[in-house]
Order: sequence, then structure tokens, then C-alpha cells
Amino acid sequence: MADLASFSALQLDAIRELGNIGTGNAATALSGLLSRKIHMDVPKTEIISIYELPEHYGDPMQVVGAVFVRSSGGFECSLIFIQKEEDANLMVELLLKQQFGTYIPADEIPDDMKDSALSEVGNIVLSSFLSAINFVTGTGFQISVPGVAHDLLSSILDVVASIYGQMGDTALLVNTELKVEGLEEDNKISGQIVLIPDPEALDLLLERLKVM
Amino acid sequence: MAEQTLVLGMADLMVVPAPVKLVTLGLGSCVGLVVFDTYAKVAGMAHIMLPDSRGLRGTEKVGKFADTAVPALLEEMLKKGATRSHIKAKLAGGAQMFSLPGASAEFLTVGAKNVSETKAKLMKMGIALIASDTGGNKGRTIEFSTSNWMLKVKTLGKGVTEI
Repeated sequence: MADLASFSALQLDAIRELGNIGTGNAATALSGLLSRKIHMDVPKTEIISIYELPEHYGDPMQVVGAVFVRSSGGFECSLIFIQKEEDANLMVELLLKQQFGTYIPADEIPDDMKDSALSEVGNIVLSSFLSAINFVTGTGFQISVPGVAHDLLSSILDVVASIYGQMGDTALLVNTELKVEGLEEDNKISGQIVLIPDPEALDLLLERLKVM
Repeated sequence: MAEQTLVLGMADLMVVPAPVKLVTLGLGSCVGLVVFDTYAKVAGMAHIMLPDSRGLRGTEKVGKFADTAVPALLEEMLKKGATRSHIKAKLAGGAQMFSLPGASAEFLTVGAKNVSETKAKLMKMGIALIASDTGGNKGRTIEFSTSNWMLKVKTLGKGVTEI
């Protein structure tokens, strides 16, 4: 694997551009699912110390809802869609309202139904993100069934540390924030997409992008 | 003397004389290993991320891997006055945060490997593991106090247990 510290600005830019294309597609798909306007940030490619990961995304002790998928074949990577627990609840309320026409407050929705709604949102966001990337790189891919977890941000991010920890002390991540217009005015629901390329997949990616 | 609270980050390892409270926040697949000697009144903790340092380019953090953290803790304990046969251990963490039916990804089960490698290493070094709370799919926040030599384990939605 290429040494992360030796990545050139051009290479990081190329990876970020992929993130940009992925995010655009994810936002379009989510907008279609929810019939809502979506605001997206410009993605950032970041090389972060694995020891500082939780702080990088906010308070390590905050409770978050996270959807995780694995992509194999072609460009191998993992993706997480992370939301503060309050935002995850708002997202579930919004999805159920749009699909069934009635508003049910999150605390009256059974946990398994909440998780299934969250995994639906995560799946749409992450699989459309991936299909755009794989369209650009020209590789085929399979995406796993999504896994959902609710826990402390710090615990959730252990997964990133365990992917990159064996190779060294830093991780290369592509981060994007999406904001969905909520049911109430001025009420934005945020979600963070984190793309975690397998360290071994980075060389392949750069070769495909012709920025070795 | 007032009890001092020390918080360990990922891959940290420390051994300190009592009175002390050693804390690790939000362990997911990582494990928190506590060792202590109630006679010498000294305790240590490591926040272990991965089972095995094999094939690694030099990393300075011995607390990162089970196979390097356990001997390092033992050595530090002896240096700080502990007697080998008095040292006991407690262990918490090693959850599997995400399950993806059908997907094979080795890193998803790293929690279980952290636990088994830590246990194996403790056994090999002759340190008695007297309590543990490991596995499952929930993260843990742990606190070890030398006031009662108990390890408090907090799990989201499940409350607090003491082991």
C-alpha cells in the first residue's frame, strides 16, 4: 500500500472529486426518496490520526445512529452514514410521513421499525454514493446488507481504527455532510457520510484515476 | 490523598499507584484491560485496539495490541512494586458494533479476537483473569477504582454493572 503521508495534493484532490460525484448522486437519491431538498457540503479528503478520530467528528460521548455497509469487488471500501440520535429520529419520522402520509413521533415508533427505516435511508445514500464512484472507476461492485447501530460516537468509530490500525496510525477518509429539510421549517436534519477505503484499494483507485 | 482520575485514549497504557481511578470512554471493538495488585496497591490499564502486532512497522504505542500490551503492563506493574503472583486482571469490551449478514470482512469481528488474544496472553503470562464483561454489540465505558478494586461497566441502554 502507498504510504498515506506520501499522497500528493493531486491524488487527494482526485479522491475528493470521487467523493463529490458520489455525494451528488447520494443527495439526488435521498431527495427522491424523501421528496425534500438536500443541501450537500463539498467533500473533504482527510488523513487523520486514528487516535483523534472520535474528536474529529464531535463529542466522542454523544449518542449516534449509524448505518454501515461494505463494498467488495473493484474498489473495496466501507461506508458509514452517521447521524446524531435526534437527527436519526427526525429522519425516521420524515421517511414514514412521506411513505405513509401520517406523522408518528419517533418515541411511538417501535425500535425495529425505526432501524429498518434508518437502514433504508442509509442504504439509499450509501449505495447511490458507491454506484457513482464505481461508474467513474469502471469497476463492478457488490454492496452488503446494511448494518445499523446506536451507540456512542467513540464506540462506532472503533471500526475505522480497526481497519487502519494494522497498517499504521493514520486513516484516509472522505467526509461529506448532507442536510435534509425537515418536517418543520428551519429544521435541518444532518447526516455525515464517511467513506473508508480499504488501505489496499487506494493504489487501484489512483491507478484507475490515472494520478499515480 | 484524593483519588485522581486518569482517562486513557486509544492505545494508551499506564500503571499508577493507588489511590486512582482509571477510565476509558466508549470502547467498541477495543478492549479495556485492568491489572492490579491489592497488596502493593498499584493498578494499570490498557486500551487495546487490535489483537496482534505481527507484520507491523514499528509503532511506539505498546498499548495498541494485545500481544504487546499484556507484557508491557506486567513489566510496568513489577517495576512499580507489584508481586507477580498477586497480580489479577479484569477485562471489558470487544463488542461487534455492526453485523452485516453475508458480508465477510475480517475487521468486523476484531472485538472477539481482541478478547481471545488478550485472554490467551494473560494465561501465558500466568496472570489470573478474575472478571470480564465482553462481546455483544454495544459499546462500553469503563472505570476502575482502587478504592474497592472494582471495574464499573456502563453500557448504553443497559445501565451500569460492577465486576
